[in-house]
Amino acid sequence: MTTRDVPLGTVQIGICSGHVNYPLYIRSVPTQGELKFHYTVHTSLDVVEEKISGVGKALGDQRELYLGLLYPTEDYKVYGYVTNSKVKFVIVVDSSNTSLRDNEIRSMFRKLHNSFTDVMCNPFYNPGDPIQSKAFDSIVSAMMVQAC
Amino acid sequence: MSRQSNRATDSKKMNSELFTLTYGALVTQLCKDYENDEEVNKQLDKMGYNIGVRLIEDFLARSSVGRCHDFRETADVIAKVAFKMYLGITPSVTNWSPAGDEFSLILESNPLVDFVELPDNHSNLVYSNLLCGVLRGALEMVQMAVDVRFAQDTLRGDNVTEIRMKFIKRIEENMPAGDE
Repeated sequence: MTTRDVPLGTVQIGICSGHVNYPLYIRSVPTQGELKFHYTVHTSLDVVEEKISGVGKALGDQRELYLGLLYPTEDYKVYGYVTNSKVKFVIVVDSSNTSLRDNEIRSMFRKLHNSFTDVMCNPFYNPGDPIQSKAFDSIVSAMMVQAC
Repeated sequence: MSRQSNRATDSKKMNSELFTLTYGALVTQLCKDYENDEEVNKQLDKMGYNIGVRLIEDFLARSSVGRCHDFRETADVIAKVAFKMYLGITPSVTNWSPAGDEFSLILESNPLVDFVELPDNHSNLVYSNLLCGVLRGALEMVQMAVDVRFAQDTLRGDNVTEIRMKFIKRIEENMPAGDE
């Protein structure tokens, strides 16, 4: 039962303008051990980079945004999603969590992407700033509760 | 003449995101130019006024509504024809004052604020204040002086957006002296 405390680790959105990767939004449940998740998310960005540069050459312009499972570690599963504007979404879940299938993760990413689009459309939000939107927060919270 | 007939028939479609973002860019630019929210509200109202005094001509040409006999009729025309025509929404008219000179327009949804979240440092900003100016300017051109303000706003956490309109007086047409 203790492992169920960390069902959905972190939801992070990192933006890559040019070749800069820095987080716009990091959220994890529960909050303890958050630093470790930051580390996981940051390292996963390299894998994301590798995947998109590889696929881009092979398939030309058409590319699936959802990258699937990036890599499994002992404790976590890391999933990635990259928009065509190179905004990266990463979801880290506990590897013992079996309730989340590929399809669920995929739809979570799509939902994240949609809410991120809404945030971008807020005229008071400057692209590149950390996301502080309450609406976005509540959508992410709802998603995390659902995933538990 | 052909332009005239065009106006009456076609209801042009416009991309709502473009519209919302354009208005958002306008407001945020004003926020940058004027440090003070009150000043931004004033500017929005002034712009709205300038839109209103022009838009009324377009409205009268396209809608072919006649003269309103009382303020209630005016309210209905604003809500059911004008808002429908220009914003694609139909606000409800409620909360009449006993004297019948003041009412509220309740907007279930406001297309101007689709993606907007007001940051904490703009608590005094009336984001959609342009609408007040439009209404004021338009009615002024049909000899009605009105006071328009936002009573509730979904951006400030209210459930609906409420625009309060108060009739002040009829503007008498002032004839130039000695001219019959």
